[in-house]
Amino acid sequence: MTEERDLHPLEKKLLTYLGNNGKSSDVDIISESDLPDEGSFRRAAQWLLSRELIIEESREKEVFVELGPLGKQNLQVGSSPELAMLRATKSDSISLQEIQQDTSFDKGRWGSAFGALLKSGLLKKSGDDVLFPGEPEETVYQEIWDLVYIPLSDETEIRFADLPANVAEIVDSRSPRRGKSRAEFILNEVVTSILDITAEGREALKKALETVTIGVMTSEILAEGSWKDARFRRYQVDIPPSRIHTGRLHPYRQFLDTVRKRFISLGFSEMTGSLAENEFWNNDALFMPQFHPARDIHDVYYLEEGRSVPPPSDELEKRVAAAHENGGDTGSRGWGYRFSRAQSLKAILRSQGTALSARTLGSSPDIPGKYFAIARCFRFDQVDATHLPDFFQVEGIVLGEHINLRYLLGLLKLLAEEIAGASDYKFLPAYFPFTEPSVEMHIKHPELGWIEIGGAGLFRPEVCLPLGIDVPVIAWGLGLDRMAMLALGLNDIRDLITPDLTRLRNMKIKPDRLLTGREGDTNAKN
Amino acid sequence: MPKIEVSRQDLFKLSRMKDPGDAELANLLTLVKGEIDCSLENELKIELNDTNRPDLWCIEGVARALRCSENGPENHLSSMSSNHLSIAVNPDMQAIRPYIAGFRATGWKLDQEGLNSLIAVQEKLSESYGKKRSRAAIGFHRAGEIAFPVCYVSVETGELMEPLGYEEQISLSHILTDTEKGREYAHLLEGFKKYPVLTDTNGVIFSFPPILNSNTTGKVCEGDDDLFCDVTGTDWETVQLTATMLACNLEDHGAIITPVDVLYSYDVPSPDRKVTTPVLFADCMSVTKDEVKKVLGIDISLDSVREALLRMDYASVEIEGDTLTGILPVYRRDGIHAVDMIEDIAISRGLESFEPLLPAQFTIGHSAPVEELADAVRTVLVGAGCEEILRPALTSWRKIREITRTPIDPVMIANPMTEEYGVVRNTLLPGLLDVESTSAHASYPHRIFESGEILISEDDGVCRTEISLACLVCGNKADFGDIHSILGSICYSRDFDLSLRSVEDERFISGRCATVIINGRASGVIGEFHPAVLTEWGIARPASGFEININSLKE
Repeated sequence: MTEERDLHPLEKKLLTYLGNNGKSSDVDIISESDLPDEGSFRRAAQWLLSRELIIEESREKEVFVELGPLGKQNLQVGSSPELAMLRATKSDSISLQEIQQDTSFDKGRWGSAFGALLKSGLLKKSGDDVLFPGEPEETVYQEIWDLVYIPLSDETEIRFADLPANVAEIVDSRSPRRGKSRAEFILNEVVTSILDITAEGREALKKALETVTIGVMTSEILAEGSWKDARFRRYQVDIPPSRIHTGRLHPYRQFLDTVRKRFISLGFSEMTGSLAENEFWNNDALFMPQFHPARDIHDVYYLEEGRSVPPPSDELEKRVAAAHENGGDTGSRGWGYRFSRAQSLKAILRSQGTALSARTLGSSPDIPGKYFAIARCFRFDQVDATHLPDFFQVEGIVLGEHINLRYLLGLLKLLAEEIAGASDYKFLPAYFPFTEPSVEMHIKHPELGWIEIGGAGLFRPEVCLPLGIDVPVIAWGLGLDRMAMLALGLNDIRDLITPDLTRLRNMKIKPDRLLTGREGDTNAKN
Repeated sequence: MPKIEVSRQDLFKLSRMKDPGDAELANLLTLVKGEIDCSLENELKIELNDTNRPDLWCIEGVARALRCSENGPENHLSSMSSNHLSIAVNPDMQAIRPYIAGFRATGWKLDQEGLNSLIAVQEKLSESYGKKRSRAAIGFHRAGEIAFPVCYVSVETGELMEPLGYEEQISLSHILTDTEKGREYAHLLEGFKKYPVLTDTNGVIFSFPPILNSNTTGKVCEGDDDLFCDVTGTDWETVQLTATMLACNLEDHGAIITPVDVLYSYDVPSPDRKVTTPVLFADCMSVTKDEVKKVLGIDISLDSVREALLRMDYASVEIEGDTLTGILPVYRRDGIHAVDMIEDIAISRGLESFEPLLPAQFTIGHSAPVEELADAVRTVLVGAGCEEILRPALTSWRKIREITRTPIDPVMIANPMTEEYGVVRNTLLPGLLDVESTSAHASYPHRIFESGEILISEDDGVCRTEISLACLVCGNKADFGDIHSILGSICYSRDFDLSLRSVEDERFISGRCATVIINGRASGVIGEFHPAVLTEWGIARPASGFEININSLKE
């Protein structure tokens, strides 16, 4: 006997039956025992077999004969068409057409009986007429009637194996494996298992009968206090649970939520903004010249004619235009071209989260201040395993009187450790059109080695001064989609936005691994 | 980002250093904002991240940076021949392709590698920096085949030239239609009645910029040691800087540069309609010690600054009082503000030499109110057994308008990549229906929701982003009552009054659709989806849904 465990009520019922009746077939147990249905029997038997409280003595396959729809019709009529036809042609020659006037069976059934009897040689044909020169009661069709139809009308079981060979042959030929709706007979294969109780089973049953056990707790048991004299049935606690589909947050959103919480905990305030921007905020305010390659028609999505985004104030636009053209009063010589207001006002889909930082700078931010945004951005890319139609970036700014390159490096270090969960990182000089100096950060991923995850820089004076900011500003940004793929263990970026509920349900989320893809990595440094 | 392929051996020969191995090379490449993209035995692919430094997009530029960082600045184009050549530009050119620059480079005997690097830099500069030859295009010629002086003139489209790689004279218009390069760049000359060419002193056409050189002068090959380079284009600065960068490259290989006086017959950004090319740029920037400290956070002497800049090949660095003035090397024009020079100081000293500091000033973090609201609602929905969905903001007109029958047009993109992502969503419901249409195999019932950005356009075309919330139930027992209950539980949790006012909406079954009214304000729509909509989506089970503006749940 395996681990000590109380008997489940179903097990108790099965053991009781076997204890009283000895060796029994499953069919008998199902029909005669107190078990509610076949499923309960199977479960109880499975459990008891695994604990060797019962054994399976043998398994037998038996075939039973049942009536198909045509057979049932015959029983109703009181005869098979063959038998009726033999009787009708016993004395007189008669044509098939005449027989078919009897509507007990339809023409088709008469026809097939006619064919079968001709083929077997019982009917003799002369011209259109046929004659049966014998006694219908002495044919195999009468035998079938007596051995199969009559007992079945009485619900007696007929074992196929018990039928004489000539009867069996016809019964078998009229039991099609397919198309049972036109079958006279159906052969039903039943596996019978013979079960018996073991000595351990008797012991367990005896113990179970001696004590009152409580299965499912009920309010009555509590109210009556009957539990005091009973014992609780011990459950088998290690059965695998059945899976339920719970409501849950989207895995990628959970990742983004975690990123958001971490930024807020680091003292950053969240910025939000519009999916649609004008080129002014997306590019011009960031001192990206209007001829910059990243502003090409093949890099940015333009909105259809007639759609717009509220324009900046004239005064602000003038200052930004001057910075572009000749530097204005930013100490720069500018880009040296003619700024186009028309291009500046064109409505596009936000291509970089930095647009939100520009807007924040332009609306009197806190100094010192730290801001971030998880921004949906759009770039002109073919959707494939590494590109989404739109993607998320986390970007932001840090402003303060004393900000300089060393604080910028310190901030990146903070982001590497707290956001990306990396302990190994390095900084490389980089180029962004709106920052100088510019730095990009690479972190060491446990499997992939060094990967770039983001960058930062000090906003150029040509960005800050026209927006009315006269303290240094760090602009920083991290790509999130790639980090999320690493964290969620995905190879195809499209899985992040899959419409397939099954795939989504199967995505594993481990909140403590969300940002690193490695267990406990965020605490590694502690 | 520009990427270049170079031979390792050549790179270190030109840099005059031993191959230090990939790890140290990666470190050295920070000088040029470069990264090793791929490293094979003798082949290196380098990615250059500074899109503002075209001088670095070639083996010569990278090698020069490595050399100078070790040995200090080099005097570029300081010993050019005093025997200038000349190009006369005829007046028509102003309207066609106004600017030209050129020089002759003598004494560098081309070997196979040299020829390769020449072709590589020509391709890279004219494609990226020259904007596919429109702003600037480059031609190299065998100078010995050209009878100087040269004219840059416009001619009839029927004039003949034997183009590079052809054995016969072809008319210019046929060069545009019958040669590969002609077809590739013909659009640059579209609409012009005459075409730009270079002619020699006898009036023979030897180049057809920006398309092709001639077979006589253009067949530059191994062993040549006397080259003529022309750069033509529509942008003054691009043309001049391209010529200067190329001249520096050839000089680095040992060639003597002979300048060209270009004589225009119209005004150009140079006095007297005359310019000597290559132009020796000398952009200067000034900083004080305090300004350096303010940006870099380090207290270093101006002498140290000077040393750092000279290792970046600055043409000159002078200190006067507490001000330092640096002049960029002739091939650079990317310094437009003192901060650009300050970055060079940081790069020269190496970022690893800067000790990071944590921002010390205290700030309080806040989440955006609308996001906080969305979070609260998402929690209620998950509690109600709903699974959250995340879908892209770009979708198709067909999904929103035709299949789902949304009554309002979404904002379309003027230049979509594909129709499938041709509009910005103005509703989240089609995204949820999309999920249903692909998830028939997932066990039912389905309760799904999304909260996210949608783009709304007012009647006057002004666009605005809203956070929307949509929820959908689907399954054989999911009906209007279920979705109503979920909406009810959200409103109840926020202590808001919810009422529904029957409305007709093509998306839903008539009589099973309503305007959602929260605290007396119309806030969205709820209903049981019309069987025709479900059928269009290929959804085989009944579904109901609602969509509301999340701000309607704001206090």
